[in-house]
Amino acid sequence: MADASISAPTRRSLFGRFNLEVRGHMPMGQQMLVVSAGILLGLLLSALLLMAYGVKPSGLLNEFVVAIFGSQRNIASVLAYAAPLTIVGLSAALAFKARFWNIGIEGQVIFGAIGATLVANYDIGPPSLRLVLMALAAIGAGMLWIALPLFLKIRLHVNEIISTLLMNYIAFNLLLHLLYGPWKDPQSAFPNSKLFEDVERLMAIGWQNLNLSLPIAVVLVLLAGWLLGVSRYGFLLNFVYANARMARALGVKIVGLTLLFALASGALSGFGGFIISTGIESRLTQSFFVGYGFSGILIAFLARNNPFAVAFFALLISVLMVAGQSLQVFYQVPFAMVQLIQAIIVICVAASEFFIHYRLRLLE
Amino acid sequence: MNAITGHMRETARHGPDGADVPPALALAAISKTFGDFSALKGVDFDLKPGEIHALLGENGAGKSTLMNVVAGIYTPDSGTVSVHGRPVAIRGPSDAQQLGVGMVHQHYKLVKPFTGLENILMAHPEGSYRQARKRLQAMTKDALDGIGFDVDLNRPVESLSVSEQQRIEILKVLVAGAKVIILDEPTAVLTDDEAVRLFTAIRNLAREGHSVVLVTHKLAEALTYADRITVMRGGQVVRSVLPSEVGEAELTALIVGSTIDERERRSGNAGKSVLKLRAVERRDDRGPGLRNLSFEVRSGEIYGIAGVGGNGQSALVEIVTGLSQVDSGNIWLDGHDDVTNQPSERMRRCGIACIPSDRQSDAIAGDLPVADNYAINGVLEGRYGSVLRVDRRRIDADTQDAVRRFEVMGVRGSHQKAGLLSGGNAQKLVIAREFSGTPSLILAHSPSRGLDIRASAAVHDHLRAARDRGAGVILISEDLDEIMLLSDRIGVMSRGSIVAEFETPADRQAIGKAMVGHG
Amino acid sequence: MDFVVNWLANVPGFAVPFALAALGLIICEKSGVLNLGAEGYMLVGAMAGAGAMLSLQVHPLLALVIAALAAGTLSLLFALLVIALRVNQVISGLVIVFFAQGLTAMLATSNGWTNRAFSGLGDLNFGPLSSLPFVGRILFQQDLVVYLTIVIFAVTVHVLYATHIGMRLRAVGENPEAADAAGIPVGWYRFGAVVVGCMLIGLAGGYLTVAVSKIWVDGMSGGRGWIAIALVIFARWQPWPALAGAFLFGCIEALIPRMAAIGLQLPQYFVLMLPYIVTLGVMVWSSLSAGRRSGQPGALGQPFVREERH
Repeated sequence: MADASISAPTRRSLFGRFNLEVRGHMPMGQQMLVVSAGILLGLLLSALLLMAYGVKPSGLLNEFVVAIFGSQRNIASVLAYAAPLTIVGLSAALAFKARFWNIGIEGQVIFGAIGATLVANYDIGPPSLRLVLMALAAIGAGMLWIALPLFLKIRLHVNEIISTLLMNYIAFNLLLHLLYGPWKDPQSAFPNSKLFEDVERLMAIGWQNLNLSLPIAVVLVLLAGWLLGVSRYGFLLNFVYANARMARALGVKIVGLTLLFALASGALSGFGGFIISTGIESRLTQSFFVGYGFSGILIAFLARNNPFAVAFFALLISVLMVAGQSLQVFYQVPFAMVQLIQAIIVICVAASEFFIHYRLRLLE
Repeated sequence: MNAITGHMRETARHGPDGADVPPALALAAISKTFGDFSALKGVDFDLKPGEIHALLGENGAGKSTLMNVVAGIYTPDSGTVSVHGRPVAIRGPSDAQQLGVGMVHQHYKLVKPFTGLENILMAHPEGSYRQARKRLQAMTKDALDGIGFDVDLNRPVESLSVSEQQRIEILKVLVAGAKVIILDEPTAVLTDDEAVRLFTAIRNLAREGHSVVLVTHKLAEALTYADRITVMRGGQVVRSVLPSEVGEAELTALIVGSTIDERERRSGNAGKSVLKLRAVERRDDRGPGLRNLSFEVRSGEIYGIAGVGGNGQSALVEIVTGLSQVDSGNIWLDGHDDVTNQPSERMRRCGIACIPSDRQSDAIAGDLPVADNYAINGVLEGRYGSVLRVDRRRIDADTQDAVRRFEVMGVRGSHQKAGLLSGGNAQKLVIAREFSGTPSLILAHSPSRGLDIRASAAVHDHLRAARDRGAGVILISEDLDEIMLLSDRIGVMSRGSIVAEFETPADRQAIGKAMVGHG
Repeated sequence: MDFVVNWLANVPGFAVPFALAALGLIICEKSGVLNLGAEGYMLVGAMAGAGAMLSLQVHPLLALVIAALAAGTLSLLFALLVIALRVNQVISGLVIVFFAQGLTAMLATSNGWTNRAFSGLGDLNFGPLSSLPFVGRILFQQDLVVYLTIVIFAVTVHVLYATHIGMRLRAVGENPEAADAAGIPVGWYRFGAVVVGCMLIGLAGGYLTVAVSKIWVDGMSGGRGWIAIALVIFARWQPWPALAGAFLFGCIEALIPRMAAIGLQLPQYFVLMLPYIVTLGVMVWSSLSAGRRSGQPGALGQPFVREERH
């Protein structure tokens, strides 16, 4: 070992040929360019994947562009899916902004929908107030479902990624219990709850099959935008996100803010469950929630927790979902492809962020 | 594995002045940039065999960066490195090790839960694990005896004192067969006694043929212990001199560029007490905690707290700012009486301001705009708009005003990220924020750490101005010069309590004795 | 008595996936790489194992190897993200789970592997030993992987704590700067730990289909990857306690079908919640008893960049 023969090292490792440098700061415009390149790469890889599945390029163009933007009905279905996606995306964004990894959106959606269905099933309250009560029950249920992981995190520092995730499985089993047991619709062969009555469904807004969920989502985006961008809470939360130690030293009530935003996140997810069950499915099924949990997380990541960007990416994912449904019908592409493509896009965007933070320099 | 003494004898044959012997280390035209910042601008440097060569300069002059290039941590953009006359390419720490170059970094590179022996062992994976362990155990014992060091190699590093950890670092370098040894600010965390012992060992190493680069910002150290001094400033070499050729004043001028005359100016009128601590106790697993800590600070005075770092200074800041709780004892604040164990938001409202020692992690959110970083205290106090709406326009106006008044340079707009400010300007921004609420008590913990002399002088002026306005100021610093320069009264902190107090002008020797007397 | 024997005899089969997955996670995380993708690697391993059995008709042990290799291949993507590109390890881990969920559902559907039973790995027979009363069924009527798991644990513990490679790996996870300064190639050590660790997790997944259920259903790992992560925290990143924890979860899982078998009328779906509720309990217990040292590797979750300026 201590052979100090003096010679220039000739060994060259793969990593050694490049030099990795930390960038100080990249202007916002450039950053958006890099991220856009990541998204494009993700879409390109997805297109290749679909082509490998036998979808012709013309078919891709047809399903993703012509079919969707060529008919009002399809635009309406994209918007219909975008509404709950936006809501779960906002839910994730609020929690992530408070450095609370809420991976339990799916469980909160399920529990929110259970809360809403409870009100509907037992005809609680006058019919005129039924929908409002269902929404409130969903919000309360969503908050309840995040409350335990939140408490464990704040008081005992239990990792919330795992606790919120475990809550998903518990909620799912509870749902199955209800659908196979007390809430099973006797008129249906499937494990569904009975269809909601008219007063228990979201009102139509008079264009295509769209209902109130769309304007509600728009209002929520604005509200979240105000909360994060204009209010004092948002101002202080930026410090909790950027430098929690400093925020604490300056007297920011970190626990209070975390509670506020994490509970708001649970409330939004629960409300999302209400929107999906009353606005899309009109009943509880054993798979009504599928995909919303992880889409919400991915949307918030792509949007960097910005509410307006959340709406944009929710639309993008929604296009993917609608196109995915017709690909399933016409090309027998499994619907899981939609999830796979989302993951591919996020992987590409995450990878592209490398170029925002670092610079590679070739040596010699 | 050759015995270390083998190397020593081999190189000892060349005298330190042997003109025919190539330099142990020669750097030519080394340049290095980080992003837009140019840290090294064509630096030349050479180290003769058997020499102790001080690399002197202020923080940020580029000394550590230059030596990190030699140690393989940074890759230079251009320039050549030669070891014993041969040009080499150093692509990583292992290359440096093979070339016989070893560096003891300012922040020790030790695996805390590992023992000292394991820390050394991990660089030498030869032979079977058990044999390597045994062999190293014997070898390190010899090496320790050789240089007169004493340290338990079988205890986890995290349970050792800083000077013991440093010895392990030096041992690591020696076992790796280094002939060129770089020590980066080795005395920063040592007491005076420990420092003297360290330099004795370094002298021994040089005598046995090692060549040593001593990176330091302390003038006296360089003048006393080095064979040669190279002064760096702003990423360039200013001059190489022999200690006998220069006086302290001349050397200072070389380091700073132009001299700044910062004169002592005492307070005339210390008034009533603003803060009293009585018999404060706090247990702490990581440090000495606080033990029977009592002192008081009056309005219109700067109370300097001298002491070696890690003697409870951070705990003191935390309990006074409400970040952590005391186990017993009282904290009393003028106008608010007993404020023991109040939360930080309450202490802030009582008029306490704090300039923490670790700016980047405790005082600045680098990703957020300068304006937000300036205004957060005001927002918390409800000065900018309501809960529903933060008044951005007023924040921007006030920020621009503060940036001007506190001479924060490099702010192109109030929306610029605070992380892009240099250390000195970031510190000025922190001071601007902390002084914006006209606090009655200011805690300044190492406020000029990492700043150049000009920025330090500005920080000092602000502290004096606050005192003259009638605030009580606590200045905690490991730099005794800074304490002596600013303080109206001096307390010495050791093992969690104030062990001595001095009125100024105080006797420097007596303070130094108090600092280590209780070790 | 029969109940107890039946129950205990089933425990090892249920414990093995937890044990192997937890060990894989420990190897990976000892190098400082936070791996939240365990659920994903288990799914990929499980599907690959089932696919190999159904489409290639290979020997079950070969199917397990294929399962490990499949997860190892997916881990290359993860390694690329977190080691080479320094992407946030939480996001990378989560997205790997989503990716694996989509990938396995898609591949299994298009290859027709879903809901098709096959004959999987059988138990070993030790002759007279196996027919001993009580202990025979519990100790000597298990499949090869059960016994192999103990060996894998012993080997891993030896490598981690009594070899140069293990010590250097732990150094990389505790303090990559120090390891780098000692000439240890941080990136390659992490890469190796990620691939080897994920292969073990894939093996755990493969065991689920090839040896336990002998059928593939979408999402069939059912949160076991997440439970394994909780187990690692509970075990403070130490292999033997992780094995003990895995045994505990094996007991719980083996209990569920036993209770139904003896005709206990319990609400089925509440019983199925049990492992998740126990996991929550275990996490609470770990945090209450953690004290100062949780055993977490010092640099867990932090990417290493040599040139970072401090």
